[in-house]
Amino acid sequence: MSPPVKVIGAFGSPFSHRVEAALRLKGVPYELILEDLSTKSELLLKSNPVHKKVPVLLHGDRAVCESLVIVEYIDEAFDGPPLLPADPYDRAMTRFWVDFMENKCSMPFWLAHWTEGEVRGRFVKEAKENLALLEAQLKGKRFFGGDTAGYLDIAACALSPWLSVIEEVTGVTLVDDDEYPELCRWAKEYASDEALKQCIPDRDELVAYFNVNKERYKMFANAMAQQ
Amino acid sequence: MAEAEVRCVDFWCNEFGMRVRIALREKNVEFEFVEEDLRVRQRSELVLRMNPVYRSIPILIHRGRPICESMNIVEYVDEVWSQPGGTRLLPADPLERAHARFWANFVDQKVFDAQHRFFMGRNEAKETAKAELVGHLKRLEEVLGDKAFFGGDEFGLLDVALVPFSSMFYGYEKHGGVDMEVECPVLARWVRRCHERESVRSVLPTGVNMYEIHKFFYGIE
Repeated sequence: MSPPVKVIGAFGSPFSHRVEAALRLKGVPYELILEDLSTKSELLLKSNPVHKKVPVLLHGDRAVCESLVIVEYIDEAFDGPPLLPADPYDRAMTRFWVDFMENKCSMPFWLAHWTEGEVRGRFVKEAKENLALLEAQLKGKRFFGGDTAGYLDIAACALSPWLSVIEEVTGVTLVDDDEYPELCRWAKEYASDEALKQCIPDRDELVAYFNVNKERYKMFANAMAQQ
Repeated sequence: MAEAEVRCVDFWCNEFGMRVRIALREKNVEFEFVEEDLRVRQRSELVLRMNPVYRSIPILIHRGRPICESMNIVEYVDEVWSQPGGTRLLPADPLERAHARFWANFVDQKVFDAQHRFFMGRNEAKETAKAELVGHLKRLEEVLGDKAFFGGDEFGLLDVALVPFSSMFYGYEKHGGVDMEVECPVLARWVRRCHERESVRSVLPTGVNMYEIHKFFYGIE
């Protein structure tokens, strides 16, 4: 019998969601442990001594950290539909776009929503260029992964359920139907997928969460933008 | 003349590119080294065409198709040129693979960033970066422990990810008085062990050459 699987996560975190999404797509049952990030538990600090962050996957007595490393682990350690394509070149392409999403897209995208005035303009331009590249990757496909959601879909999750929430809370809309029809269509597919929707946080709760943290996010974003 | 089946677009002093060239040599893959001179600001037409997103090197071109981002390329090389009983850079066990990827990610996020700020910075910024850099390397030394390689008995993904940075150890001493033999003796021994491998010896430049060119790039006298 397979050792128990637990996810140490936090409400509202798209990084935590990625881990849950991967487990759900593979059909692996798990227990979710929600952290209060203002007072991190002994379990979290012990399981992720290097970064002290969520998410962490606990598989029996094993601990795996970093959301994307965890997603690849889940794909390799458990049976179930593959999250990455079989062909090595296609796998390399998937990993390339996941890395792009994580290291090039995320920050300008975040800053484009949370900064203000002139500073915003620079990030909006960069975010839109990045979004256009992702839009091109979708052409005609239901998901980035093809007919079913895969690694890149999971990595891009902040562009689906979180996006409309951030747009509502900040009043900033970057991803509109006219400019990014594929991304908008994909976002709906993602949010309505049978497996994925089970681990998407409740929208009203997510809006409330972002509203509570709004001023803090704006402050950090403006500080980051100065660097 | 037909284009080589495997081409690696890189520059001799690029630590990220060294990873790719070491991996290819470990796998005994014949390849054409296409030099992209990083001292020239403008990127070549080949780089712009093969890596339009980042416009950077290294780029592996396999049968005309580009693969970019060094660790991505290393995993691709490991998967494509795999034979039963042959060298494998990624271990078979998913947990060990996750650990290798986690720490390779740590090298990219922490070690390279601190090294960059160490060479870019002056005065306090330089000292802060230096302390962080040494701290990260000490952490990696703990991960190595008493194993021969990060991969265990076998040279693997994390060894490939980190060993190029050892060519900067001479520079760390010259630039900031960091003596790696003193700070990280276990890591220093690991570096010597890696140099016993033909792949590492043939790819890594000397510390002197690395320091000289980095002085050029960072505008250091």
